[in-house]
Amino acid sequence: MSSVSGEAAGELFVWSMICAIGVATFVIRFAPLALLARLELPTWLTRALRYVPPAVMAAIIAPPLFFADGTPTIEPDLARIAAATLAALVAWRTRSTLWTVVLGMLALWGLQALSG
Amino acid sequence: MRQVPRARAEFIAGARAFAPLSMSIIPFGVVCGAAASSAGMTPLQASAMSWVIFAGSAQIAATQLFASGAPLLVIVATAAIVNLRFLMYASSLATHFRTQNRRWQALIAYLLTDQAFGLCIVHATQHPDRQPDLRWFYLGVAGATWMCWQVATIAGILLGSLVPASWSLDFIVPLTFIAMVVPLLGDRAMRLAAATGGLASVLLVMPLKLNLIAAALIGVAAGVAADRLWART
Repeated sequence: MSSVSGEAAGELFVWSMICAIGVATFVIRFAPLALLARLELPTWLTRALRYVPPAVMAAIIAPPLFFADGTPTIEPDLARIAAATLAALVAWRTRSTLWTVVLGMLALWGLQALSG
Repeated sequence: MRQVPRARAEFIAGARAFAPLSMSIIPFGVVCGAAASSAGMTPLQASAMSWVIFAGSAQIAATQLFASGAPLLVIVATAAIVNLRFLMYASSLATHFRTQNRRWQALIAYLLTDQAFGLCIVHATQHPDRQPDLRWFYLGVAGATWMCWQVATIAGILLGSLVPASWSLDFIVPLTFIAMVVPLLGDRAMRLAAATGGLASVLLVMPLKLNLIAAALIGVAAGVAADRLWART
């Protein structure tokens, strides 16, 4: 395969990805508004949806703390884990994204400097 | 004609209510744009993520999976699961906007975010008398969020390549998620859902990068189970 057609395949992949996620996201946002005048979400679903944000967000936060890029072996990054823990405490106390990000980054830089 | 100034006032009130939240949207958007461009997307594609999808968490999740070479279907399914919370928001907003015409509903749906939902519900509770113009307040919040997000991601696309990797700015992504998730952990079942989801995402070894989907579903299941179990005792 020439690099040109490889690039074109990559372009097609990215555009398909963007459009498919765009359509799926719009349907998820639009369907309840458009349909709920007639039908309601079942109670079990409403109850389950409540737990989607904490489960998803924790699942996005955790892996980069434990895996070096792309390796399947668990390799805890102690500086990142410590900085993330501190950031969680800041978030709990201040409820501020800005402070969480600023203090979390400062903590990471400090710990990285210490560990050389 | 009397309606016009009130609509405008509500629109401006919405944009004002959003202003303090821009402090959290801007860094997240910059990182989102920088991540998409360093994952190998062209500037046009990286910014299209923001106006076609317009959902930060899903954009980040999709970008990370794309960078790690996951199959298309897995990326799309993961992004859809990350966005499932919008079902909850949209069904809650439906009680306020069910009488709007299709065009308004489509606009409201496209612009739906955590911020627009949260501020709109608070506003509707505090000012039930202004219900007829609620859509304008919503449009003020959501329009400001949209503008802010587009500008921030474009800034990230342009500036991202200038920042050396040794600055570890990718760490801003988990930090913004920490800031979003911590306030949700008010009760035991929510904490258990988060702990289980996080643990499962690290321990599960799944083919095709299905970890995030599996971990999310396990976390939700744990939350629901705990909810039912503890509700009875």
